Amino acid sequence: MVEVDELEERAKADVDMAASTAELAAVETRYLGSKGQLQALLRSIGTLPRDERPAFGARVNQAKERITQLIAERRQQLERAEVQRRLESERIDITLPGRPLPLGRLHPLTQTVRQVVDVLSGLGFQFVEGPELEDYAHNFQALNYPEDHPAFDEMMTFYVDDQRLLRTQTTALQGRVMQYQRPPFRIATTGRCFRYEAVDATHHHTFHQVDVFMVDEGISMADLKGTLRQFAGAMFGGDVRVRFRPDFFPFVEPGVDYAIFWKDRWLELGGAGMIHPNILEAYGIDSERWTGFAFGLGIERIHMIQHGVNDLRLYLENDLRFLSQF
Amino acid sequence: MLLPLEWLREFIDVPMEPEDVAYRLTMAGLEVEGTEDTIGGAVLNIKVTPNRGDCLSVIGIARELAAAYKLPLRIPERIGALDPGDAAQYASVTIEAPDLCPRYAARIIRNVRIGPSPQWMQRRLEAAGMRPINNVVDVTNYVMLETGQPLHAFDYDRLGGHCIVVRRAAPGERMRTLDGVDRALPEGSLVIADQRVPVAVAGVMGGAESEVNVRTRTVLLESAHFNPASIRRTARLLNLRTEASYRFERVVDPEGVAAAADRACELIAQVGAGEPVEGILDVYPGRKPSRFVEVRPDRASLLLGFPVRTDEVTDVLARLGFTVESPGGKDAVKVEVPSWRPDIVREVDVVEEVGRVLGYDRIPERLPRGATLQGGPSDLERFLHKVRTLLAGLGLQEIVSHSLLPEDALDVSWDAGDRVAIRNALSAELSGLRRSLLPGLVDALVRNARRGQGPLAFFETGRVFSRHGDEFRERVHVGGILCGPISPAGWQRSAPPAPGDFSTAKGLVEQLFNVLRLPPPKFVQACDARLHPGRSARIVAQSGTVGWVGELHPEVSPRLRSKERIVAFEVDAEALKELADERVEFRPLSPFPAVERDLAPRVRADVPFGAVEEAIRHNSPAILERYELIDVFAGPPLPEGVRSFTLSFTFRAPDRTLTDEDVAAALEQIRSALEQTCGAVFPT
Repeated sequence: MVEVDELEERAKADVDMAASTAELAAVETRYLGSKGQLQALLRSIGTLPRDERPAFGARVNQAKERITQLIAERRQQLERAEVQRRLESERIDITLPGRPLPLGRLHPLTQTVRQVVDVLSGLGFQFVEGPELEDYAHNFQALNYPEDHPAFDEMMTFYVDDQRLLRTQTTALQGRVMQYQRPPFRIATTGRCFRYEAVDATHHHTFHQVDVFMVDEGISMADLKGTLRQFAGAMFGGDVRVRFRPDFFPFVEPGVDYAIFWKDRWLELGGAGMIHPNILEAYGIDSERWTGFAFGLGIERIHMIQHGVNDLRLYLENDLRFLSQF
Repeated sequence: MLLPLEWLREFIDVPMEPEDVAYRLTMAGLEVEGTEDTIGGAVLNIKVTPNRGDCLSVIGIARELAAAYKLPLRIPERIGALDPGDAAQYASVTIEAPDLCPRYAARIIRNVRIGPSPQWMQRRLEAAGMRPINNVVDVTNYVMLETGQPLHAFDYDRLGGHCIVVRRAAPGERMRTLDGVDRALPEGSLVIADQRVPVAVAGVMGGAESEVNVRTRTVLLESAHFNPASIRRTARLLNLRTEASYRFERVVDPEGVAAAADRACELIAQVGAGEPVEGILDVYPGRKPSRFVEVRPDRASLLLGFPVRTDEVTDVLARLGFTVESPGGKDAVKVEVPSWRPDIVREVDVVEEVGRVLGYDRIPERLPRGATLQGGPSDLERFLHKVRTLLAGLGLQEIVSHSLLPEDALDVSWDAGDRVAIRNALSAELSGLRRSLLPGLVDALVRNARRGQGPLAFFETGRVFSRHGDEFRERVHVGGILCGPISPAGWQRSAPPAPGDFSTAKGLVEQLFNVLRLPPPKFVQACDARLHPGRSARIVAQSGTVGWVGELHPEVSPRLRSKERIVAFEVDAEALKELADERVEFRPLSPFPAVERDLAPRVRADVPFGAVEEAIRHNSPAILERYELIDVFAGPPLPEGVRSFTLSFTFRAPDRTLTDEDVAAALEQIRSALEQTCGAVFPT
């Protein structure tokens, strides 16, 4: 029995001495292996008197369990320490910049259009597309522009031939929609427009607009004001107020210019009004029963207000210093 | 229009503060764009909308303010000459074109003494932006500014036959205008002529020959009404815009013609410029009957969105000069439209008058009630959003570039369309519509490359245009361009990202088809002068050619400091949209294991990989799930002119575990197809 106690003591000392998992494995083999010391001890059981044998066997097994447990504990200790050392050796400079992965962004105008579409979709407006290469009939005639009228002074137009032109306003879509659509409807469109203008920080011959119009029973200027407030509030944030000022556009009557009160100032956003009954009637819509409103504004203007951009020209210059800011 | 406040106060007691007046005017629809302080007091710069010709005068503005402020107007009632009187002995007026000239009135002033006009008049003219010339001309301008009615003074002695004939210009007629320019008169345009020749372009500018000058002794003063569209056409054709034509285009009050002539005579006498002769020659073949409009207060309430009472309607309209015919009617108020408001035609026009004078601040804000409709983006926008988010996700920056372009070797339509040219282009730079997105993409690339900015990886979705005989096409395209790597190099320069090449551009196109769930397109040898002949392809989908991809030809490629090649692609997005199928049918996942095997056929270098793909497609074993090209090799130890492709095949059956025999048979099928169609040999 003494040998077992001694062996256990030695094993304990060796386990404690093992400095690595490899050394520990050697200790394990030395004591617990099939040719190990414990096994040898067990084999010597035959030399003992028969009645001592059970107690000896039990003692050896107890020692085996103890040593096994000691080794397991020590192994866990050593492994943890080894992982610790490895992790320590793998330390890097985490303040170095990350790998620059490819990153594309959407153009600010696309982002703004997306926001406009989201807000107006929520208000029940269906977006449709119209051509940029329009015809005189849709861009002017259908919108109640009399021939040779001074209203054309504000609509300097690029012509391709006598009939075809580059649309000066996305409102050109109204007639295209009313050709097939019966009320009630809520329609919106976004797109590129062109006007024969000299380019500066606030004017461009190429720009983008959103145009919105709806026709239903009992639609009034109050609905227009409420819709504008909802729209402007969603686009610019906060509780905005809407102000109307009389203005003239051949396709609306009454016609207004609308402004919103935002961040302590009035911002003029665009034109609006009640769809002219001449237009409804031209498409066979009973203007007595159905009334509607229309409003429009510039996509660039929305983005400029949202972000404080001060030069309209930046939108078509594609300078990464500008594009990467949004 | 420039309006001195003190002049305005001659007719109405508006407040002295220009800010107050400016605000009221703006809120009435006459936007004050600025206020200038001058020695004579404040001058308002008013933007008059094209429908309000009646507001191009001091009295017109005063009338608006009378309604806005509820103040009385002081406009002297003028009962001037009613019949020709003595004037008939001096001259005659004949209107040969009554459709273009509904009214022409003339008065005669004798014993004219040309000199400067008095200081007060010159001051007002200058404040209103006009240059004083002489007492007679200044009076005509003064009355125009006061009443809105343009006037013209002829030297009576220079009028042949002392007669005025209002007629259309005859073919080939010419005249020297006041500005000294000899002009060909557009055929059919309205002129004022004497017995023989034109002496004025009606409503636009007088003639130099009959101009009032220091030797003028007798003046014939014209006050007339002309057809607005005719004046506008003539002014446009002559490229000559004057204060007179500006007003005539916007409609002048036909009923004010004689009163303006009388007012001018009064002033001429007052400033001592001459003695008006008794009587007026007033020819008025085009008198229009009064216009009556009925307005229902209920309708006004419905349109304006706030309750409007009948008495409010009649009050507002009376203040604006309307004559209320039947006030207090149960359903409608009938009003006579004043002669200076030709823009008021129907009920809704009157509703606007009522609304703007009562004030749009009374309109509440509410959201439309009624049928709830399904809103959403257009189909095209939804489709393009998918395309854009994919390309941005792959690392390309979206750009938005110009549709108007100069002639450009890069601007070629791949469907052989002609350029759509702009007839009235601002400059050669903006002379036509783009046929391709490539010029804009190259422009963005060059612009950023020159500033040393990157990565140079861009895409755009936008419309391109082309002309095919009488047919005009407008299509939405998507295009991309790359120069160098898509990723920035970062600080790990020892392992920089690979520069974009043909294969990268092709990969972008393939991913596009992939995301849109379109079958992979074919890439066919392209013939495009803009592209490297050996590194470019047409993209062919089921419907035909839908785009191109390739390296730019060195002859058209911009010069950059970077040595990297430029690759680009362009696809007809609408064609893809037509092909795209949004429905997705789920394929159950097989519970049985897959088997992977590689084959490495060696083929002659002139056999394209496409031929290998074709052979596999036509001889595809049923258990072939997919395959992938994992290596292409040429060079030693392979003999010259031979390439080796390493292909990794994945086999799987939906209903059982494959046996070695199954896989061996499938591989043998592929192997022999490649041997027969591509002359492939397999290393043993």
